[in-house]
Amino acid sequence: MILYLVKRLAVLVVSTAVAGVVVFAFMALLPGDPAEIALGVNATPEALEELRRQFGTDRPAAAQFADWFGGLAQGDFGTSYVTSSPIGPQVADRLGVTVTLVLGGMVIALLIAVPLGVFAAVHHRDPLGVAISAASQVGIAIPAFLAGILLVFVFAVQAQALPSGGYVPFTESPGEWLRGLLLPWLSLGLVQGAVLTRYVRSAVLDVMREDYLRTARAKGRGRMGALWRHGLRNASVPVVTVLGLQLATLLIGAVVVERVFVIPGLGDLLLNGVAGRDLLLVQGVVMVLVVAVLLINFVVDVAYAALDPRLRGAR
Amino acid sequence: MLSVEGLSVSAESVRLVREVSFAIAPGERVGLIGESGSGKSLTALALMGLLPEGVTATGTARLREHDLLGVPEGRLKRLRGRDVSMVFQEPMTALNPLMRVGAQVAEVMTLHGEPAARARERAVELLDRVRLPRPGQIARAYPHQLSGGQRQRVMLAIALANEPDLLICDEPTTALDVTVQKQMLELIAEVAPALLFITHDLAVVASICERVLVMYGGRVVETGPIREVFARPRHRYTEGLLAASRLTPRGTRLPTIQGSVPPAGRFPDGCVFRNRCPQAGPACETEPTLTGDGHAFACWHPGA
Repeated sequence: MILYLVKRLAVLVVSTAVAGVVVFAFMALLPGDPAEIALGVNATPEALEELRRQFGTDRPAAAQFADWFGGLAQGDFGTSYVTSSPIGPQVADRLGVTVTLVLGGMVIALLIAVPLGVFAAVHHRDPLGVAISAASQVGIAIPAFLAGILLVFVFAVQAQALPSGGYVPFTESPGEWLRGLLLPWLSLGLVQGAVLTRYVRSAVLDVMREDYLRTARAKGRGRMGALWRHGLRNASVPVVTVLGLQLATLLIGAVVVERVFVIPGLGDLLLNGVAGRDLLLVQGVVMVLVVAVLLINFVVDVAYAALDPRLRGAR
Repeated sequence: MLSVEGLSVSAESVRLVREVSFAIAPGERVGLIGESGSGKSLTALALMGLLPEGVTATGTARLREHDLLGVPEGRLKRLRGRDVSMVFQEPMTALNPLMRVGAQVAEVMTLHGEPAARARERAVELLDRVRLPRPGQIARAYPHQLSGGQRQRVMLAIALANEPDLLICDEPTTALDVTVQKQMLELIAEVAPALLFITHDLAVVASICERVLVMYGGRVVETGPIREVFARPRHRYTEGLLAASRLTPRGTRLPTIQGSVPPAGRFPDGCVFRNRCPQAGPACETEPTLTGDGHAFACWHPGA
């Protein structure tokens, strides 16, 4: 188990380094010189040269990378070429908001998918079970931002029960914080919940055919008792895989949903950075998103081993 | 102790097992033999109340004073694993891969009222009783760390845990290596209370059972003491089955039963075996009844 963890951790570290190189290389390859962007087209060559020296962009790419990546390891994302303010604190602020948004959406997705998926599997021959699977199909076809707009229309415009957008920090007013996040959570969670329902259903259906459930019943468990005690943990192994993939999708989906609901998250920061040609800011945010996805994969791998003893010795 | 009367099993409109009746006395070991598709496993699953979804059983089956058929699941599950238990064919998939072996053995005891601590202790004793080496260590292992034979012993430990009146074994050794098979059979013969042993292997039946039921096409076609049935089979199907399993001199053709088992629901009317029987005549269009005392058979043209 410890060996497995060490290996997974090594994979995480190596892939983070590789991701750093890739992200840096892509940004370096983009046309556009930060100094030119800052000074405009009428700048004198001397002034440009001076600013490049200040930014450090006159140095070789390898030195710039080492500087940037070394800084990242200490939480220093550099100073924006555009606003001259440090990027690290902004990213940290926004990251908290996005993580809250994504995890909240995931919790809602799970709250929907686990009971509905299990129910749909157990009652897969009954009309209600079939109806649940059909409804989840419809859910899959709806993108999160559309769900967001529909939710805003119903709850904010028609019922006027919830704000249509905006974000109040938890420390200012927990109640308003919750009201502001409810619709964004729902718009992410409902769609992901629909997708997840199908996976939970098929995982549980597979498990229901397993011999060890019959063994459990032969011991004297009822149908549901056997499924509860022996089936759900087995069914959760494939579901965890999907959950990991979905968290990554949610992170990307959050970029769009943050726009719809005017939430100051990472996605919002990223889009602002792109609009303002703040290359170093974009680079930092993309790196954070990439590392977040790598971390999710790491957690999924660890979760596998925690769930399934067969994986602990292997790999 | 166990008495089964007119047990029929059907899926939708197809009758898979018809009017099976037999009894097992306390301590008696009865074999149930027949080819695949003859209804052996369904008969056993019906007695356990574990028929697959959409498959139903009718008739009566009583284990001591308990009814086994037409009883609500809530009452049946109190009997399963306590009064009657079952060992299945496939040891590789019958245990939960995510749960330690000891916990899986202990579970069958806690389910029927044993305190958890006592059940854990007894689980190790049971693993020892089914002759697993280092039972304490095995109790902490996961199923994938054990061999097929070891897993089947674990299944046997689970089945025996609550000292049931009846043990049902459905081809428990078919998936095992030949050398392991023999040890497993000896163990079952030694520890089983009353036994219903399902197999298609006649040699296995001969080695551990006292009485045999021969099934074909969902019916019992012949039954009696092992020695009599094997020495003097009366039903033509039993005769064919025995001939096919006998060792033949080198160079001679292996005797077989002509044709193959029809799919469920496609057996002929009258005698179910008549489309494959060399002796079949017009009389066989009427269904023969199982007649005879002790050694009974359902055939219009019995062998001598």
